[in-house]
Amino acid sequence: MAKLKYDYDPRVLDIGEKADQGDVEFQFRILQDKERGLASLRRIRDRFHDNPIVTDVLFYQQDNGEVQVIVRGDFYEEFILALMKHRLLRRVWWEE
Amino acid sequence: MDQQAIGAIVLFLLTYAFIVAEKIHRTIIAMTGAVLVVILGLVDQETAIHHIDFNTLGLLIGMMIIVSITAETGLFSFIAIKAAKGAKGDPVRILLLLAVITAFGSAFLDNVTTVLLMVPVTFSITRQLKVPPVPFLIAQIISANVGGTATLIGDPPNIMIGSAVKELTFMAFLTNLAPIIIVIQLLLLPIFVFLFRKQIATTDERKAKLMAMDEKSELGDRSLLTKCLVVMGLTILGFFLHQTFHLESATVALAGAFLLLLLTGEKWMEHALHKVEWPTIFFFVGLFVLVAGLVETGVISRLATEAIELTGGNVTSSALLILWLSALASAFLDNIPFVATMIPMIQEMGNQGIQNLEPLWWSLALGACLGGNGTLIGASANLIVAGLSGKEGHPISFVQYLKIGFVVMLFTVVVANIYLYLRYLL
Repeated sequence: MAKLKYDYDPRVLDIGEKADQGDVEFQFRILQDKERGLASLRRIRDRFHDNPIVTDVLFYQQDNGEVQVIVRGDFYEEFILALMKHRLLRRVWWEE
Repeated sequence: MDQQAIGAIVLFLLTYAFIVAEKIHRTIIAMTGAVLVVILGLVDQETAIHHIDFNTLGLLIGMMIIVSITAETGLFSFIAIKAAKGAKGDPVRILLLLAVITAFGSAFLDNVTTVLLMVPVTFSITRQLKVPPVPFLIAQIISANVGGTATLIGDPPNIMIGSAVKELTFMAFLTNLAPIIIVIQLLLLPIFVFLFRKQIATTDERKAKLMAMDEKSELGDRSLLTKCLVVMGLTILGFFLHQTFHLESATVALAGAFLLLLLTGEKWMEHALHKVEWPTIFFFVGLFVLVAGLVETGVISRLATEAIELTGGNVTSSALLILWLSALASAFLDNIPFVATMIPMIQEMGNQGIQNLEPLWWSLALGACLGGNGTLIGASANLIVAGLSGKEGHPISFVQYLKIGFVVMLFTVVVANIYLYLRYLL
């Protein structure tokens, strides 16, 4: 099955990703232009917050400035595309 | 019994049956019944309007406006995450703290609003800890119904009772019901631990993740938060003092609501008025008119006579009958129409010779509010939480809830029974 892959600018941010019990957990560390990066993540949070599903994508702002995001498996693609839309990614593509 | 009384009973029972069946929205049913009361000439329009308790409606609308704006500040999420961190990420302690926060919140806000604010942050915390959310949600349902019993504004039955009986002020509710509710909530905490502790184990790594959360990021517009906190504080102070200033509780709630809108500006007005649960408000209107049909045709008076004959006019028997009848009825039926019917009946029992009605009012409040915990359909908050949980892939079945809720309900009503007996009836 094809999987959505992504690429980001490692000078601007760092993204950690791991699968966990049907979820995918992301860890975002903004390295450059922190305000803009966090604002983009907040806009993505608001976009998922405003839909009627509570557990699709959950954001956890951490004390150290990093942001942990737990994404339900069936919302993975939607979340990646939201990251792309808000220019946190450089490109996305399908990989078999 | 004359034809008008029979007509009022048939119409009331039919309406009630349709409300219980839940095939058509309860507001449409109640309002259709109310309109028929007038069309059939059981009550004329002027009398019907006279029976609508605008104090209950004003209080509900005022509080809904205040809460709808406050909910946007992220205050509840902030408090819940702060509590979870205070519990060092331990799921059992978090469950207990969230239950206590829900109980406290429900005492001052509508139960449904409280659970709607608590459920998302509960999902967020339990997902972080990788523990099932259902134990937390069941504890919150029970705590919302218990906490709502503590004050005049906590639960619709109390709002209706406080509005109908002028002597039962905000302070009267607080001094008579809050002490026993605090005891009941404290007694429930070890029960929650016993019931749920084995289901909610987590790892140290998960706890550490939760401890790393920044609760302050949940707070949005700080200026809005300050305004909301000031207005909520003033409104609650107003409830404490409403009798001193000869103001009805609805005046206090509406003053708070429109002071907040004055401070926040027009952009919040649309949002706040949109968030007022108009179907609930019209449901109340319909019920008040339906009950007016029973009152004006002499049905309530006759029921009161029967009740007095059954209990021999004895206050103790009457109070305990009302407590248990209200609890069992509220476990299976909507407690709002039940209380709407019981209020004029208790008033009529007073007219027919029972001198001390106070224990009867507290019996009704405790029975109707605590009874809501009995089944999943016992209170709106139960249904809303179960609906949200099911939608998120964590269904709470009727039987699963019944096994816990009904036993807890019986336990809390036994405690309330002992309290009523010792404080008012001995």
